[in-house]
Amino acid sequence: MFLARIEGTVVATVKHSTLDGCRFLIAQRLEADGTAAAEPIVIVDWLGAASGATVLVSTDGDIARSRLGNTTPARLVVVGIVDGK
Amino acid sequence: MRLGIVRGHVVLNPAVPAFAGKTLVVLEPVTMDNLRAGNGKGGGKALVAVDELGAGKGQIVAFTEGREAANPFWPNSVPVDAYCSMIVDSISIQP
Repeated sequence: MFLARIEGTVVATVKHSTLDGCRFLIAQRLEADGTAAAEPIVIVDWLGAASGATVLVSTDGDIARSRLGNTTPARLVVVGIVDGK
Repeated sequence: MRLGIVRGHVVLNPAVPAFAGKTLVVLEPVTMDNLRAGNGKGGGKALVAVDELGAGKGQIVAFTEGREAANPFWPNSVPVDAYCSMIVDSISIQP
């Protein structure tokens, strides 16, 4: 798991069928000193994280599989929003 | 998932049976700086992913890496570690 800052939203019409209806955010992984990784990531959010928020991201696909089925390629999921950020 | 620009396709002959009929794309991952600039550049290290969505050259896709990349082929066991999960229409980044 790691911390990431929400930078915006992603819209995609053509996607794997299990991803229909999911909310996708673009985020940057944060280092311990608060600097952001060079490459952004696309994450699934069921908690309603707002832009600018710091969230905890899990790289384990279990949550996604339990919600979206065994064939889903979803992996990075917001599992919490950091309090006060 | 990371974001990647489709730079081309790969055709295998021969290939392991699990790859029969699969479309492979060469992706160049996109950095946040290049995404913000909207300059069409990637900047990351190229990789190959399975594409079942029909992504074309120059399009940006979000791709899954790791074990989850093989989930779409469940219950079959395939040696796939990168999979194009969506073709990006638009990205809205807060200033």
